[in-house]
Amino acid sequence: MIDVSNISKQVSTSEGTLCILDQINLSVKAGETLAIIGSSGSGKSTLLGILAGLDTPSSGTVMIGGQDITAMDEEGRAAVRAGHVGFVFQSFHLLPGLTALENVALPLELQGVSDALKTAEHYLQRVGLAARVTHYPRQLSGGEQQRVALARAFACRPTILFADEPTGNLDTGTGEKINDLLFALNEEEGTTLVLVTHEKNLAARCQRTLELQAGRQIALTNGSQH
Amino acid sequence: MLAIKMLLRGWRGGQLGLIFWSLVLAVAVVTSVALLAERVERALVNQSSAFLAADLVVSSSVPANSEWLERAAVDGIRTARTASFASMTYAGEQMHLASVKAVESTYPLRGVVKRSQIPFATDASVIESVMAAPQPGELWVDSRLLPLLNIELGDSIDVGDGTFTVSQILIEEPDGGSSFSMYGARILMNWQDLPVAAVIQPGSRVSYRFLMAASDTDDGSQFARFSEWLGDELTVHDRIITPDEAQANIAKTMDKGRRFLLLAGSIGVVLAGIALALASHHFANGQLLQVALYKSWGVSARRVRQLYLQQILALGAVGSVAGLIIGWGFHQLLLSAVRDWLPLDLPMAGARPWITGFATGLLCLIGFTLPALWHLPAQSPLAVLRRDIQVASLNSAVRGALGVITIAVLLFWYSNNAYLTLAILLGFAVTGGASIIFGLLLLRLGKTYGQKMGSIWRLALANLWRRKKPSLIQMAGFSGAIALLMIMTVVRTSLIDEWRWQLADDAPNHFLVNVASYELDGVKTLIQRRELNTAGWYSMVRGRLTHINDALPNEDLKRSHESLNRELNLSWTSALPEGNKIIQGQWWDSAALEGPVAESGGLAPVSIEEDIARELGLTLGDQLRFSVGGLVFDAVITSTRSLNWDNMTPNFYFLFPEGYLEEYPRTYMTSLYVPSDKKLMVNELLRKYPTVQVIELDKIIDRIRSIVTQITRGLEMMTLLILGCGVLVMFAAVSLSMSERLQESAILRTLGSSKRLILGVQWVEFSTLGLAAGLLAALGAEFAIAMLQHFMFDQAFTWHPWLWFVGPSAGALLVGVLGVAYSRKAVTQPPLQVLNSL
Ligand SMILES: Nc1ncnc2c1ncn2[C@@H]1O[C@H](COP(=O)(O)OP(=O)(O)OP(=O)(O)O)[C@@H](O)[C@H]1O
Ligand SMILES: [Mg+2]
Repeated sequence: MIDVSNISKQVSTSEGTLCILDQINLSVKAGETLAIIGSSGSGKSTLLGILAGLDTPSSGTVMIGGQDITAMDEEGRAAVRAGHVGFVFQSFHLLPGLTALENVALPLELQGVSDALKTAEHYLQRVGLAARVTHYPRQLSGGEQQRVALARAFACRPTILFADEPTGNLDTGTGEKINDLLFALNEEEGTTLVLVTHEKNLAARCQRTLELQAGRQIALTNGSQH
Repeated sequence: MLAIKMLLRGWRGGQLGLIFWSLVLAVAVVTSVALLAERVERALVNQSSAFLAADLVVSSSVPANSEWLERAAVDGIRTARTASFASMTYAGEQMHLASVKAVESTYPLRGVVKRSQIPFATDASVIESVMAAPQPGELWVDSRLLPLLNIELGDSIDVGDGTFTVSQILIEEPDGGSSFSMYGARILMNWQDLPVAAVIQPGSRVSYRFLMAASDTDDGSQFARFSEWLGDELTVHDRIITPDEAQANIAKTMDKGRRFLLLAGSIGVVLAGIALALASHHFANGQLLQVALYKSWGVSARRVRQLYLQQILALGAVGSVAGLIIGWGFHQLLLSAVRDWLPLDLPMAGARPWITGFATGLLCLIGFTLPALWHLPAQSPLAVLRRDIQVASLNSAVRGALGVITIAVLLFWYSNNAYLTLAILLGFAVTGGASIIFGLLLLRLGKTYGQKMGSIWRLALANLWRRKKPSLIQMAGFSGAIALLMIMTVVRTSLIDEWRWQLADDAPNHFLVNVASYELDGVKTLIQRRELNTAGWYSMVRGRLTHINDALPNEDLKRSHESLNRELNLSWTSALPEGNKIIQGQWWDSAALEGPVAESGGLAPVSIEEDIARELGLTLGDQLRFSVGGLVFDAVITSTRSLNWDNMTPNFYFLFPEGYLEEYPRTYMTSLYVPSDKKLMVNELLRKYPTVQVIELDKIIDRIRSIVTQITRGLEMMTLLILGCGVLVMFAAVSLSMSERLQESAILRTLGSSKRLILGVQWVEFSTLGLAAGLLAALGAEFAIAMLQHFMFDQAFTWHPWLWFVGPSAGALLVGVLGVAYSRKAVTQPPLQVLNSL
């Protein structure tokens, strides 16, 4: 599903070139689950963005579904994203002017799905927010906002779901429920999961774990299967 | 449709309000002014026809050609013939030289005759307006003829050989005001009675008029064809008079009123345009994350562009329609202010104002909103991951240029006036250029010196510098609004000042002419006894023009030009009278001229009015011989002049250098205000001094005054509307940086800053911006006003020192108050609530 070879990412700052990612190699099969772990600032979000085709590496190639997205232009990558990719952002990025329901329905509407609102409601229900559909993001707690963001990603039924700290803001109980949801999605619909997480038990539920340290890949292990 | 759904959600979220209302205002201003202008224009054309009693008149020294009448009958043109002449009227022992007008029964073709059964009636309830002429055998007469002939309504008087019944008091005839040369009491009689009275003999001086008007079923084309045909038929005796000319004495005032309307409308559009540009800029900033999200979901740039285009189009359509409706409402409001001098059934406007309004909406969106949103589709999806990713928005120079082009197109298309367009653009260029250069300098200076000041000032001035780009944009917005408001106020004030004499209650409304030296004291005493004041006495010499270049004028010329048949007023002056302009030749240098012509026997220089010169075929260097009571002298034309008829002061067609006419018997003239209750003074004066001529202008002046009052009121209303636009711009500019400011304030607040500090910082920031903007606005306004006054309103250039004071202080106060009011939220609400609501 995803094949990454030798990707590096450098950015130039006022203090010279900074290497954020260095020679990452990775392959994720369809339906697989992968956790990316590492300390803060180690490059997890950057890597996730590149894998999802939101960002481009400085060198190396990324293949998604057999297509080399690093060779594509932005429009090409957009088409790939539209077909395959879902993303849960570390900072949620809910639109403040829309209700929870509208936030979830928006990507569906853009895809031209006819019963967008109904689908959206269904997924909000699944993340336990049936009672908050008409609320605006500012009326929701951080964890609730995160769940709306998850519902938004689920609702598009992507083949690969990238999630940047999907349960970072949640208490253990709710976090577990969300995790169950993620893995249920993986099992029911065969969705490939790529997660960034700090949580040991979430990483442990994934089939494989990639550990980053200062941009370098220090370990790619098979997680302890549940 | 998805775009519509997004639009509605955006509206609910409040991001679209400012764009929408700016657009609505732009369209409303344009529509209301265009509607008003067109309807009033049409009404004025109709009304001027009324003052002419026709759509077109041929004035002539001979009766209308019978061929014209036949042709008119065939073409379905309505006609009426009139003949005006002076005739003696008798009743018993009494007699009076009256101004008689004989009219056909079809008279008047346009407008109404006002008549009454009560002499000197002023109360509208006893005055009857009719579209009718006297029946044969009847006379309708001026009130003052009754005491002059010592008769009552219903009595009979003699005119020429005929005896007629006085059946009505003539209060006003539609084309009565235009005649300055009638001195006696007016009488209206029927055309068929002319042979009965037998007053018109070969050689008598009669002024004939041939009145024409389109029939009710004619859409104007028939009439146009006829008048074209007629134009070729005219001889040297005939002169065409159009409705415009009939209005000449107020045409300038109305024209300036119209121009002001245009100026105000243009300023309104520009203001709304600025508000729209600012609001769009703000809106685009708010959309960046949204677009990045769309992109991250794989929406293509093309689709994003499509979505926003659809939204803008929908918004434009709804906003324009709302603008059209509101514009209609506002034009009704404006109309009600100027209602009184407009005919009751105002003609409807055509499609043009509506098209203009709608197109304005579209153009505004294309010029101001599209460029601001242009870069959105290019937004990188990466922005969802990193805050430092910023899409390059359309170069601000390009955007500025687009905005300016839009404004120029709008202004020109709308005003059809290159000067107005240029003046406002120039004012803009000056304000804009100065904003960038001095604005940066001022902010920089502020930052430097701010460091030496207290914490509030230091923080505020540093903030302004840190946010220099939005600060400059805001400053440009503020200064644009302030400058335009200043331009409008100044032009309005100067116009109203200029018209003050017309609005004055005691503006002269009667002229006394031909007062002989020996009568002067008697006339003065009579006026004093009535407690009336003259506007000073002018002296002149009455003489005839007998020869042109040593030859007698030929009969044709004599017949067609009254000035060759009557005594002319010759006057003298050393300085060119105010309002007169030299057209050809040179004004004399008094010092270089020799003594009186009688002594030197040489040629007197004479300056003559340009129209007379043209009609008599005179040019510089031609010699004229004048006869003053049998004494003869020659003069040479050294210049021609145009006169100013606006200000009701005496004007002279023939002017000589001071001293040249000293030897000749002089007569005197003056102008004075006679209130309607003292009108009988005119009779007393005429009875005592029959040779004195009284020119009554009270009717005309009343009309001018009412029109000017209405126009002034219209200007005030317009000013209000434009002020509304100005406030909108201020709002748009203030809200531009608000969320960032609120966020910062809320954070300061969580860090424990006092309300005083937070509001103080906002106050200093905004009032500094306002102060700088006001200063720059004064500069730009001064430029634009100079141009407008010179090219559009025929006024002399003046400095406006108060602008330089009022601009900055009003700017500081207004912007400061607005800014603080906006940011009060930051201190009245808990910081978390503030942060959450952003
Ligand atoms: N455009 C950029 N310019 C400069 N530095 C950057 C840029 N993008 C990322 N970085 C730096 O690269 C490093 C990796 O960032 P990244 O967001 O991937 O970290 P992370 O592992 O997701 O951290 P966290 O767990 O805190 O979210 C950070 O130190 C970050 O400051
Ligand atoms: Mg991260």
